[in-house]
Amino acid sequence: MTHVQRTLAASVLSAALILAASSAWAQSGSGWLMYGGDYANTRYSSLNQIDTSNVGRLRVAWMRSLGTLESQEATPIVVGDMMYVSTSTGPRYVFAFNAKDGAVKWKYEPELPTDFAATVCCGLDSRGVAYANGKVFVTRLDAKMVALDANTGKELWSVTVVDYKVGHAITSPPVVYKNLVVTGYAGGEYGVRGAVQAYNQNTGELVWKTYTIPAAGEPGNDTWKGDAWKTGGGSTWYVGSYDPTLNLLYWGTSNAGPWGGHTRSTDSSQYGQYTNLHTASQLAFDGDTGKLVWAYQMTPADVWDYDAVNEAVLADLNLGGQTTPALMKADRNGFFYVLNRQNGRLLSAEPFVHVNWAKGIDTATGRPVEDPEKRPQLDRWARNVCPNLFGGKNWEPMSYSQQTGLVYIPTFNLCMDIAGKNEAYNPGKFYLASEFDLDKADSGGFLSELKAWDPVKRAAVWGIKEDLPFMGGVMSTAGGLVFYGNQRGELKAVDAKTGRVLWTFNVGTGILQSPTTYMIDGRQYVAVVAGRVKGPPSFLGKIGQKVIDASPEGGLVVVFELAN
Amino acid sequence: MSWRRALSLHAGALAAVLCLAAPTADAQNPAGPIANPFEGRADVIDEGRSLFNQYCAHCHGTNAHQGERPRDLRRLKLRYGSQAPRIFYEAVSNGRLEKGMPVWKSVLGEDMLWRIFTFLETVQTPP
Ligand code: HEC
Repeated sequence: MTHVQRTLAASVLSAALILAASSAWAQSGSGWLMYGGDYANTRYSSLNQIDTSNVGRLRVAWMRSLGTLESQEATPIVVGDMMYVSTSTGPRYVFAFNAKDGAVKWKYEPELPTDFAATVCCGLDSRGVAYANGKVFVTRLDAKMVALDANTGKELWSVTVVDYKVGHAITSPPVVYKNLVVTGYAGGEYGVRGAVQAYNQNTGELVWKTYTIPAAGEPGNDTWKGDAWKTGGGSTWYVGSYDPTLNLLYWGTSNAGPWGGHTRSTDSSQYGQYTNLHTASQLAFDGDTGKLVWAYQMTPADVWDYDAVNEAVLADLNLGGQTTPALMKADRNGFFYVLNRQNGRLLSAEPFVHVNWAKGIDTATGRPVEDPEKRPQLDRWARNVCPNLFGGKNWEPMSYSQQTGLVYIPTFNLCMDIAGKNEAYNPGKFYLASEFDLDKADSGGFLSELKAWDPVKRAAVWGIKEDLPFMGGVMSTAGGLVFYGNQRGELKAVDAKTGRVLWTFNVGTGILQSPTTYMIDGRQYVAVVAGRVKGPPSFLGKIGQKVIDASPEGGLVVVFELAN
Repeated sequence: MSWRRALSLHAGALAAVLCLAAPTADAQNPAGPIANPFEGRADVIDEGRSLFNQYCAHCHGTNAHQGERPRDLRRLKLRYGSQAPRIFYEAVSNGRLEKGMPVWKSVLGEDMLWRIFTFLETVQTPP
């Protein structure tokens, strides 16, 4: 088969699959317009010039230094022929590159206070920027959001979303739709109260703000003991998804705060009414008003730091012969959830990694069936709890391929010992009320694994085991490929059907974020941001030390193309 | 001179009593000796480790295992020799905000900080 035939065949096939299995809006086209590739966070690109037969010919087209050394977590977005990348440490810079050759069009260097670093829990990261209507939106660790002119990098407006001094920070890009730019914020380790906030793209005016935790007098506030809701966490530090047809905005919420649960619930598996809504939950908001439309709590009365923030991936799945509007989430708590994204009803929940804190999810109630031994209590250790608090999966994004119908999940294989502790709340200070030892590998001789997961059959199809945790996020393409990186700096291209590694290139420093791909002037490129993880390995003691030793810290964007 | 001996020069019984009784005295008099009142006390090590794992480990590593050299508190002795207690005390009291090290003065009592230090003494990397 010639290349053209192959390309045609592949695109006919994928077009058919797209029609059959997914809404047309879940597509990135020839650019990479937003963090997750599309509103559905699929990280699937329909580009197929680079495919399983030629991926071995990838070579570096251009590369640039990002100028900072903290964990690099930005998804480079590509709009037209421009690429926008934010760096770690603030961000220290936002760059606008010519996506073809890396020429710097402009550089934005925000004015940041010197003390923001002490109120950021887990690394001075920035996961990238958002683009809409000629503007680039940047969120910052000092909890500000600014709009830049996409042509010049000039600041158009700037707002303080929340006060960073009490432990708020913004690490992820906002979601942009209609005339809104919507952001959440971090702080679940500092006793904040989470919210989602929408601003007018043109003026920076606040349009709506919805707290994730109901205040006194509001429905659901009685799920908290006393005043604990005020410092109850439920932060919104990762990205949202959006369904334009339903006009629903999806956001996950973090752990309940503090980690130690005796402050806010019964400190037992019999938590009764004290579930701590809406922490560790998937939420759906009306896109225009921010009104909460539905909520599903993954981990009631959380004491394991099982944030439910992981990206909601939207797809229309064929379940039992019916096309179903689904929302998929590989949760920190180790279960892969499929919900009906219209109403939040649970369709399935299956462990995608080794889970021992719960025996399963009761499909009638939607609640975990806990093993009480694995629930830490005040001054009582729960030993060997799996997964550990990094979760079965953390923020490093998964990808849903419309071509294979599989989800590619970067997973962890770690366990922990954890106990509740007494601790006073101090604004702006870590508020964990917990002691833990996460330096525990689960069995099998590996610490992370890329898992190809069938969300319909609810089973793993293949896996690639890695000897270090913090494997990078994943992208899939219509070229039959899956791309991901690891903390040694290896970027890999894998056959999406079989898991066979087809190409590897070492960029010299660890890769956390998924690559992106785009087409300019008939040529497909693959871009990756690299810069080894720096903060979070501390939680892991000796295992963490191995991660730090695996590659030096760095800050790079590297772009690949096919050799002629 | 070993680190321990260097410490014990400052850490006489009188200094220990002064530290416990008047914890701010050293802070007010930076020229005065800053010493660990629990120097050599094996009975506070476990509690020190526990406090360390609760308050410091997420940045400095579980049980102080840390690969990032500037955050590796097992190297205080290598790095600062006999000045280690003073540097420790100043770093935890005042923080190093621009680097991301919080201020602990208002959060943990001196007593707790020195228990943590006593644990750290047991895991120092030999020269
Ligand atoms: C939020 C993260 C964080 C927490 C929590 C934290 N530290 Fe630090 N600490 C740092 C950073 C970052 C540095 C600076 C390292 C550098 O100079 O680059 C530091 C530096 C230090 C230093 C100075 C090290 C040297 O060699 O000069 C000491 C001592 C120290 N920390 C002790 C502690 C103790 C004790 C605790 C717990 C009570 C603690 N830290 C909690 C982040 C943290």
